[in-house]
Amino acid sequence: MSVSIDIDNVIKKYEDTTVINGLSLRIHPGEFFTLLGPSGCGKTTLLRMIIGFNSIEGGTIKVDNKVINNIPVNKRNMGMVFQNYAIFPHMSVFDNVAFGLKQRQVPAAEIEKSVVEILDVVKIGHLKDRMPTQLSGGQQQRVALARAIVIHPQVLLMDEPLSNLDAKLRVEMRNAIKNIQQQVGITTVYVTHDQEEALAVSDRIAVMNDGVIQQVGSPQYIYQRPANRFVSTFIGLSNIFKAVVRKDGAQHILSFGKYQVPMQTLDAAAVTKYAESCGAADIPVTVAVRPEEFTVHMDGEGLDAVVNYSVFLGISTHYFLTMTDGQEVEVITPSDVGRIIPNNTAVKLRVEAERINVFTEDGMQSLIIQTEDINGRRIGGEDA
Amino acid sequence: MKKPNIWTGFTLVILCFFLLFVVYPLFLIMYQSVVDPETHALTFDYFTKFFGRKFYWSTLVNSFKVTICATLLAAIIGLPMAYVLRSFKIPYSKYVNILIVISYLSPPFIGAYAWIQLLGRNGFITQLINSLFGIQFGGIYGFAGIVLVFSLQSFPLIYMYVSGALKNLDSSLNEAAESLGCNAFQRVTQIILPLVMPSLLAGSLLVFMRVFSDFGTPMLIGEGFKTFPVLIYTQFMGEVSTDDHFAAALCVIVVVITLFLFFLQRMVAKRYSYAMTALKPMQPVQAKGSQKFFAYLFVFGVAFIAMLPQLTVIFTSFLETVGGAVYTGKFSLMNYENTLFSKDNISIFNTYAFGLCAIGIVVVLGILISYLTARKPSLLTNILDTLTMFPYIIPGSVLGIALLSGFNSGVLVLSGTALIIIISLTIRRMPYTIRSSTAIISQISPSVEEAAISLGASEFKSFRKIMVPMMLPGVLAGAIMSWITLISELSSSIILYTSSTSTLTVAIYAEVIRSNFGNAAAYSTILTLTSIVSLLIFFRLTHNEDVSV
Repeated sequence: MSVSIDIDNVIKKYEDTTVINGLSLRIHPGEFFTLLGPSGCGKTTLLRMIIGFNSIEGGTIKVDNKVINNIPVNKRNMGMVFQNYAIFPHMSVFDNVAFGLKQRQVPAAEIEKSVVEILDVVKIGHLKDRMPTQLSGGQQQRVALARAIVIHPQVLLMDEPLSNLDAKLRVEMRNAIKNIQQQVGITTVYVTHDQEEALAVSDRIAVMNDGVIQQVGSPQYIYQRPANRFVSTFIGLSNIFKAVVRKDGAQHILSFGKYQVPMQTLDAAAVTKYAESCGAADIPVTVAVRPEEFTVHMDGEGLDAVVNYSVFLGISTHYFLTMTDGQEVEVITPSDVGRIIPNNTAVKLRVEAERINVFTEDGMQSLIIQTEDINGRRIGGEDA
Repeated sequence: MKKPNIWTGFTLVILCFFLLFVVYPLFLIMYQSVVDPETHALTFDYFTKFFGRKFYWSTLVNSFKVTICATLLAAIIGLPMAYVLRSFKIPYSKYVNILIVISYLSPPFIGAYAWIQLLGRNGFITQLINSLFGIQFGGIYGFAGIVLVFSLQSFPLIYMYVSGALKNLDSSLNEAAESLGCNAFQRVTQIILPLVMPSLLAGSLLVFMRVFSDFGTPMLIGEGFKTFPVLIYTQFMGEVSTDDHFAAALCVIVVVITLFLFFLQRMVAKRYSYAMTALKPMQPVQAKGSQKFFAYLFVFGVAFIAMLPQLTVIFTSFLETVGGAVYTGKFSLMNYENTLFSKDNISIFNTYAFGLCAIGIVVVLGILISYLTARKPSLLTNILDTLTMFPYIIPGSVLGIALLSGFNSGVLVLSGTALIIIISLTIRRMPYTIRSSTAIISQISPSVEEAAISLGASEFKSFRKIMVPMMLPGVLAGAIMSWITLISELSSSIILYTSSTSTLTVAIYAEVIRSNFGNAAAYSTILTLTSIVSLLIFFRLTHNEDVSV
């Protein structure tokens, strides 16, 4: 039976420096949950607090509603896959996978059966008697995974398990991991700094920076409706503009100087509250526009820009442009039949109003109507 | 979070061992050096006595002279030897390498005694020269003899260090320099030499420390030329007018000097080190013309001269003698009958027994200590780390004197027992084993152990089932090298032995002093053969021709 993990206000200190200060998270039973963030953001620290290699200086971590703060690692019954796999080099594949079962005094016949079974699940049954030095990186990864799940842990923890593999194998393995996780149905916490990997495997993602959770949500929601400027630039690419929001009756107008965009997606309450703190009719905001949220036009309204160069990538064409104020902009358009816009052409860029994101001027808070709250709960939905 | 556990227990037990057998005896020595035996009052008389009389302080000057000359010569031989063997294809270079290692592993005083056989007053070569040229060459005793023996005995260390550095030197560095316009000579002086300089300096300082504290060689070949370790020995063990307190003061002086050298070496090593790993190491090329001639001459010449003492010893062990000293010119197995097959060959048995016991303790403690200091850092393990490295800078004779003073009387009397020799061997070898074990641990990712723990193993079980088996091959290879060094140990054994605990090196030394060269040669041959066989086992086990000691 899958279990939930409740992280409640935990604190991590090294000597005098506080790395994590009061972080809370709820990971649902059977969920594939990813901690995503730049290196040094505290994601591995948090993972090692869950398994118990790091002490917890404050708050509690509950697994299946039981506080585990003071349970020693070897009694926690969690499986872990390490960045460097940590395969025991002096043991065969079989002995590596059997190790955890032997610690649990499982009878030999049963060990044999479980190991063979799990090796088939990870598709390396034929390598059972090999020594680790005779295995490729991907195969070692599968041994590490088998070794972690054969003990039927309550929770599976993975610390950047794919970062030592080459690009092609990484894609192959991440699909394998996702499939195996679904097959076993075990609550999984996965740490990575690779956003594409996170988007591909996760049920939900927590984006972390400086020891603080920036946003929790489904991959799609995090990409489309980032909670703040950090998330919008860390996940995918965003062009950042300064602009103002003006109220025109019931409607909001986003104004980039001459270019005005009527907005339907702004959260009226949030805008009003923010406007009060600014005290001006023109509310200063930060706008994040992803390259694919632009359309390129030869005339009409829009932001003035000049094409520097373009890159044709088959499915899409990337344009690199400079605006009149010198800011550089990246635009991605579907590759239409016809000519690619030549360099040094002056063009007009228009944004797709319903897709772009608007933040407070400091970029800390989104002004868009939210359908999931910051902890990934659907607002007004069944999960609230 | 930090609770007393099994590791704290281990740390405390090992700490007690070192406090008892290293710290306590050394403190006793320090205490004796500044206390008057009659009045128990604080006195610096022993130090003023030493620095006041030329007879005493000149030994220190002599030691420095010998050590500096020998170190320089060792570098002058070792450096080109390493370079030539790495850059040119030399036939049998693998065997040359092994010969160099063997010549290094045999105790220096055997070299001294062998060179006396060759170039001493009645040496083979001396007689040859004198009869050929009709001169009266008196043999190489004193300064020249000591320097000869030490340089030939020490250049292999420089060779091994530099050779190791050259192995890590990527050939693309050379090629880059060449493409930028450097000729062959400039490449050596501007690229290779600066890059191997840290290893050269590290090796040189190690040579300096070893030569400085060696006592067997100057004792045998020095004659009137007295060095500092000889003075210590005679003050403590001499037949007339020994003075324990004066000897203690001398010990303190030598420890201060080696301590200074140790920190100098640390500083140099820290300041001048390059992280190099060669993807494409230098490939030896075929030498041509005169280059080939000189390269071969140099390599084989040096290897031959380095092996000459061993060859002499083995050869003379099969010669018939009268009273041990005078060769009759016939071959015989007489020397072996008197040693190996005699009833009274306890020293051979002792050497093996003591060596094996010490190695056993060294391996177990070495694994534990390196694990504790590398993986369980705490104040206690930090103290342990410093304490266990201490014997590294304590010359063997000082350790011997300290142990003897500490356990000669009182509650724990160990003098004259086999145990005290085993303890001294253990302590002397411990720093080397810990260093190599720590290097092995640093190669093992902590997550391997974490994996075991996450799978349900306790900390001690993961140590036993994961760490120990992973470390063992490397540690055992190191243990073989330790074994070779231990069986050739003289400087502390000579102070601690009694007739029932004599070892091979002690027996060789005693036979040489008694001018019973026949027996000495037989004993030496047994020792050398043991070393060679052990070394071959080492090569077989590690599949590696690089030796680090």
